[in-house]
Amino acid sequence: MHQIEVTVNGVVRRAEVPPETTLLSVLRDSWSLTGSKLGCDVGDCGACTVLVDGVSVNACLLLAVQANGRDVVTIEGLGGFEYLHPLQAAFERLSSYQCGFCAPGMIISAKALLDENPAPTDLEIREALSGNLCRCTGYTKVIDAITEVCRDRAGLAGVEEPA
Amino acid sequence: MRSFEYVAPDSLGGALQALAEHAPQVKLLAGGTDLLVDLKHTLNGPQFVVDIGGVPELKGIEETPAGLRIGALVTHSEIERSRLIAVHAPAMIAAAATIGAVQTRNMGTIGGNLVTCVPSMDSGPVLVALDAQVTVAGPGGMRLMPLTEFFVGPRKTILGPDELLVDILIPAAMLGRSASFLKFGLRKGQALALVNVAASVATEGGRVTETRIALGAVSPTVIRAVKAEAVVTGKEVVDTPALRQAGEVAVTEARPIDDFRASAAYRRELIAVGTFRALDEALTRAAAA
Repeated sequence: MHQIEVTVNGVVRRAEVPPETTLLSVLRDSWSLTGSKLGCDVGDCGACTVLVDGVSVNACLLLAVQANGRDVVTIEGLGGFEYLHPLQAAFERLSSYQCGFCAPGMIISAKALLDENPAPTDLEIREALSGNLCRCTGYTKVIDAITEVCRDRAGLAGVEEPA
Repeated sequence: MRSFEYVAPDSLGGALQALAEHAPQVKLLAGGTDLLVDLKHTLNGPQFVVDIGGVPELKGIEETPAGLRIGALVTHSEIERSRLIAVHAPAMIAAAATIGAVQTRNMGTIGGNLVTCVPSMDSGPVLVALDAQVTVAGPGGMRLMPLTEFFVGPRKTILGPDELLVDILIPAAMLGRSASFLKFGLRKGQALALVNVAASVATEGGRVTETRIALGAVSPTVIRAVKAEAVVTGKEVVDTPALRQAGEVAVTEARPIDDFRASAAYRRELIAVGTFRALDEALTRAAAA
């Protein structure tokens, strides 16, 4: 067994895990953070996407021991019932998902994209989401939601503080 | 996943020692994008997993007198963002950008891609076209060898059970060499290559003085198409028929297979077209340089 200590959404969490435990299973099973989903379990579908030290990864392909000492952000870290992250709000407003299983991973991937590139092109959005599969509605409304968030932010950036 | 013992050495010496102690019941963990998938699907997993993620000697990209040194642990995303690679070997960026999806590229390493050694790997062709060398470390010390000798067969490299890949060297003479990469897949996102091709050319006085062509996914390992190279070398840079002929010759050097992704016949068509386009692109770059 290995002792691990991981900062998850700003909170330091500890667990004792066998080495073959993935980060995804410790998030879901030990810490009850079930936003990140177990889909394909081989790194194709992106339903388990989380940020580790700011970088998007498949939590199903990272051992929990590898996350020891690192900073993890999951969908729960972006927002909740009291406050929705702008990406979550836009996904909701535009009905960007149907069953919702892929949405946490989609939104984390979108956040990773916007953190690096606040004004992505349509093609860059598509590329950034190529590791997140949706089997219900498709991708058009997901792209629309991300585009809308970028547009809103650009609008805000243009507003000048009164002198 | 079947259980194993996990070791995380913090130096190259420590990693080699762990390998020596536990070989052959041991697997190295780098980016994990291949290893974890394998571990989840095998009943005969290793007894030990050695996580080399904390080994500093395997990291970083740097310019040395011998050439550009790329640590085995450099991720595909790091390659995409590297200024040194953008300046000296931009075709590597074109190749890295086609691997998996963002998450895979953030985790997966160039060394892992070479060591896993699937014939359709996307890191191999450009490196072969740039005459890359690799450093292998083992109990007997380090040895440097051409990448083409490192590849032995599908999922098989020259590495012994107690050896590991340290870094990749693009020789100084090849830095800035005009090169290209292109890949044919069944779709744009997260696709394995049906065929991938890389080419590099040197030109002087309107003629091609050196050509290297590498093909992936059409033989047991990434291969050089030396006969096709010979068709182009010495020709005028504007000799389009020669490039087309090189494509036809490259087909004869490959051994593509039929599988559920594509037929061998289709792959042969792609080799001819891909080789032509890769050469054309590399020559266009050379003309612009």
